[in-house]
Amino acid sequence: MTHSTSSRSNSSKSGFTRFRAPKAAAVVLSFVLGASLLAGCSDSAEPKAGSQESAANVNKEGFPIVKEKVTLRMMGPDVGVQKWADMPAFQEMEKKSGISFQFDNPPLDSFETKKNLTFASGEYPDIFYAASLTQADEVNYGSQGILLPLEDLIDNYAPNLKKILDDNPEIRKSITTPDGHIYSLPVINQQSIWYRSPMWYNGEFLDALKVSEDKLPKTTEELYDLLVRFRDEDPNGNGKKDEIPLVSVKLDDVRSWLLGAWGIYGEDIYNDANGKVHFARTEDGYREFLTYMNRLWKENLLDHETFSQTPEQKKAKGANNQVGLFQDWHAYFTHGGEPTTNDPMFVPVKSDSVDQPAVAIHPGLSTGSFAITESNPAPEASIRWVDYMYGYEGAMLFDKGPEGLMYETVNAEDHTKKWLPLPDKFNSREDYRGTLTPNYGTPAPTLLSTDLQKGLKEEFDVWVDKQNEEKILAYDPQPPFPILYLTPEEQAEISSLRSDMDTYVQQMEAKFVTGQEPLSGWDNYLATVKQMGSDRMIEIYQTAYDRWKSS
Amino acid sequence: MAAVIKESKTDRIFLLFTYLFLGIALLCVLYPLVYIVSASISSPTYVNSGEMWLLPKGITFEGYQRVFENQAIWRGYANTILYTVVGTLVNLLVTIPAAYALSRSDFVGRGFFMGMFLVTMFFGGGLIPTYLLVKQLGLINSMWALILPGAASVWNIIVARTFFQSTIPKELQEAAHIDGCTNLRLFWKIVLPLSSPIIAVMALFYGVGHWNSYFNALVYLNDEAKYPLQMVLRQILVLQEMNSSRIGTATSGETAMAMNARADVAALLKYAVIIISTLPIIAIYPFLQRYFVQGVMIGSVKG
Repeated sequence: MTHSTSSRSNSSKSGFTRFRAPKAAAVVLSFVLGASLLAGCSDSAEPKAGSQESAANVNKEGFPIVKEKVTLRMMGPDVGVQKWADMPAFQEMEKKSGISFQFDNPPLDSFETKKNLTFASGEYPDIFYAASLTQADEVNYGSQGILLPLEDLIDNYAPNLKKILDDNPEIRKSITTPDGHIYSLPVINQQSIWYRSPMWYNGEFLDALKVSEDKLPKTTEELYDLLVRFRDEDPNGNGKKDEIPLVSVKLDDVRSWLLGAWGIYGEDIYNDANGKVHFARTEDGYREFLTYMNRLWKENLLDHETFSQTPEQKKAKGANNQVGLFQDWHAYFTHGGEPTTNDPMFVPVKSDSVDQPAVAIHPGLSTGSFAITESNPAPEASIRWVDYMYGYEGAMLFDKGPEGLMYETVNAEDHTKKWLPLPDKFNSREDYRGTLTPNYGTPAPTLLSTDLQKGLKEEFDVWVDKQNEEKILAYDPQPPFPILYLTPEEQAEISSLRSDMDTYVQQMEAKFVTGQEPLSGWDNYLATVKQMGSDRMIEIYQTAYDRWKSS
Repeated sequence: MAAVIKESKTDRIFLLFTYLFLGIALLCVLYPLVYIVSASISSPTYVNSGEMWLLPKGITFEGYQRVFENQAIWRGYANTILYTVVGTLVNLLVTIPAAYALSRSDFVGRGFFMGMFLVTMFFGGGLIPTYLLVKQLGLINSMWALILPGAASVWNIIVARTFFQSTIPKELQEAAHIDGCTNLRLFWKIVLPLSSPIIAVMALFYGVGHWNSYFNALVYLNDEAKYPLQMVLRQILVLQEMNSSRIGTATSGETAMAMNARADVAALLKYAVIIISTLPIIAIYPFLQRYFVQGVMIGSVKG
């Protein structure tokens, strides 16, 4: 009944044609779609940027940057506090420079999706700001000419940045892609030290057990003893044996700190002082680490919910004053309450097999923060604009907003400042800051020097600095692995090697630690990982590292 | 008569197991609901630590209070209602006439049109080409981007078509025609009044779809003021997730503190927002359920 009469009258061929109809339609459809794709691409073929005209409009020094006003389109993530157009930092900068912006600000949580769609749609913003472009993005879109190479622009129009790159050749190495071009500018962060957020002891537990800060464990055995005391001596004083000596979520938080006890700098790929690249998960030291963690597990010193709990559950235990040693950015995030100087930082411990624990620090750099696309009509002005952020004044403007709102200068010579009183409608300085500048919770292109905070540090910040000094910087730390680019081929090979290997390594770690797999299975594990291509992976990273070092 | 027959032993055992299984099924469905309700009025600390597992603990209404103070949520609510109402109307306007036309055996080219519709069920352009199309139509960042691209769901057209085929007898149409009724009038005065179950079901299908959808909004909308409720909810949840996963590599201490503060608020809001956003659907469902079951059955009789 559903068959139409017309097709039935077509006798024997009808079945044939009816099956072909959708196919033909599909062909037509694919042509249409293909055409729309091409249309999308051809739209972007605007005149190449960087013409002489745009250069002639730029003043080489001082403000304003441009002789005739320019409006550019900027894309960056919105954290939902204030519209970028209403931010005093942008308004002030527009007054100075003569460059204004049309903003396209997808919210931070959907920014990644929107960024990819933008690249795919062929209609790019002139500038990506705080965009977290991935290294693959840069290599891909850079080689296609969508992102402009920046090195000549930096040499001619960005004195601040040029000086930084000349003084720190390793930064230049780290932002240069394998084809020799720089496609994005980094966040350079001289304030950050932590590669991973540190581990902290529960100060109340230590007080109850009368362990003073200078008596904190320095070896793995001393640490073991202290954890046993946490477990047995009821340091939270509630009469119940509910203490969890060491808490963790899937070991990702504590692994890199404890691995240092066996001389391993990072939990994944790292290089030693001789420039040799290692994969932590196949090292002997990692085996020792697993043995140690298994021991903690067996004796109920490591949280038995380690492999099942969420970070929120971990925090709830901390707020309940149940945990002795834990990792978080600041101790009070987990332990609850207000910032306190009572919870001391973990002192790196060492095992018998090394003389000094290996400690990692942050490389102080993250790439992909700022890029200029081929549709930008004024690349020279754009790079001069962003170069201001790599000097003290510009960094300050975009870190804390224009002077006179959050802070005022006390001594212009040495950059000492002081806070101004907070307007009533804000709960904290951070809330206020979010309305002044886009550099709030986003990786924005800038140089975060220690000068920016001069005079603005609270008692708590000073205490954290001292902890860093004593417990991290004193141990001759190094970044586990430099920031470097892989070629697209290397990237592809690594991705295919890792897809299975990472899962296997992760599962086996959990099995070894929980004792589901005895440590006698190590040789088997090692053979399997090697068979999955760990040696080849190390080789690729070694090549990339050598290339980075010699560039 | 049937009640008089005494149940055999096996019948009773069968009944017992039926109740048992239904009871278990009920628990499985009910538990998450109760949990969410309890969690929404409990202190986040207890919820996260797992101490609150059924009944509320550390009762606090701060979550709701924050929701009511939160403008983004209410704006999202208004947007969702607008998108759902307008979207569902457009859906019905397109689906019902299309389905009726396709149900008429005297419709010339029916096989061809049905074939073309079916193609779209199996072949789609994929995300990027669809995005480009919507962009070139100038619909980006407008509510029509959420409504027009999905205006006709082929699946629903087939369900409605089957309904028309099986419930509107051909004789009715012939009788009307003999009396001089035009096709348009036939559709308005005779077919539609007989089709309230399928209209209700379609409205519910489409309406729930609009209410719960977030992906189109994620892709096509840029302006937060236009976000539907589900996007606002997603934002709250994702920001909390992001905090936990990114805090280890946050670029500065200030950022970390800000993210930590946001996570605390998100933990508080999460369950209250879930309740508030699902409540309308739960409230409407009982009234439409009658049609719902009926309509789904109708659609399934003939494929």
